[in-house]
Amino acid sequence: MNKELEHKFVTELETHQNIVHKVCSLYTSDPDAHNDLFQEITIQLWKAYPKFRGDSKFSTWMYRVALNTAITLYRKSKRRVPTQNFDSVIFKIKADEYDATEEQQLKLMYNAIRQLGDIDKALVFLYLEEKDYAEIASTLGISEVNARVKMNRIKTKLRTILNP
Amino acid sequence: MMDELDLLKKDWKRKEESLPKLSYDEIYQMTWKKSSSIVKWIFYISIIEFVFWAVLNLLSYDKESLAQEKEWHIFEFSTVLTIVNYVVLVFFIYKFYRNYRQIEVTDSASNLLKSILRVKRTVTQYVWFNIAIFCISLGMFLYGSLTFGKESEQIQAAASDAGNETLFWIMVVGTIVVVIAVIVSLIWLFYKLLYGILLNRLRANYRELKRLEV
Repeated sequence: MNKELEHKFVTELETHQNIVHKVCSLYTSDPDAHNDLFQEITIQLWKAYPKFRGDSKFSTWMYRVALNTAITLYRKSKRRVPTQNFDSVIFKIKADEYDATEEQQLKLMYNAIRQLGDIDKALVFLYLEEKDYAEIASTLGISEVNARVKMNRIKTKLRTILNP
Repeated sequence: MMDELDLLKKDWKRKEESLPKLSYDEIYQMTWKKSSSIVKWIFYISIIEFVFWAVLNLLSYDKESLAQEKEWHIFEFSTVLTIVNYVVLVFFIYKFYRNYRQIEVTDSASNLLKSILRVKRTVTQYVWFNIAIFCISLGMFLYGSLTFGKESEQIQAAASDAGNETLFWIMVVGTIVVVIAVIVSLIWLFYKLLYGILLNRLRANYRELKRLEV
């Protein structure tokens, strides 16, 4: 494929790579799987890039492809070598910045999010990324009302975990 | 007191700093790697299936078996069956290709899942069609050999010697049905395992999205 296009693509992805890393950290639990998924998302983005018209923002378009890859296309690799607790790498909690209760609460919440299903994770992810319900709904292919209802349920669930 | 979820949002932002950072070159290398997505797997498996069944049909097509078919008076029926088989094969390849092209990674998750499952369904339908053809052919050959084959007279004689001719035929047909049932369930089991491993997660996610829409 055309060199110029590839250069443009890699530059854009390099700038916005955080989005992909965040998706990977939600859907995988060790560094190898994280890299695998990152690579698959990159391949899917690159394959779809020639059709990217620029009528939406590059980052918005990325959210969709990245989540779709994580939810549908990615085959979890069988090798599960728990090298280290990945949370401590990606979700590093700097103890000195928080008081103990906050730290505890966050830990509980992240653990709860990790245990959610693929679709619920996608909802929480888009919510944390401050996407509005219209965008959440169109990304997942459900109605806005249902996206809202589902998100409220997840929020309640998370709150009950913290205040049993 | 600050809402716990706002706390989470704030923390989520802060964590961006600790995310890995890949260089331009590392990302560039990745664009040249081969995809190992589920869609690719389904694509290759489907191609293998089309080739497998088509070759199986071709293999049974030689001069000797043609002469045999003529001798057993099933030549016309068998020719029609072969033509139907290839027409349907072309139809399925077209349908498969059309559905495959509709898979768009930029679609909504729900539509993407739906289009992937649709491709898989096309292939499954094709497999069932082949199993049906296989059963019909088997029936046809058994009919031909039992009615017109060299040993047919002996078999007929054996049947009348056995005294109870109806029971004899019921046993013959019963044995055939059991053999077909065993073969079909083995094929079914094979597909169940193959696609079960590949598509379990996909199906679960699709069901979850559908459940949200009720």
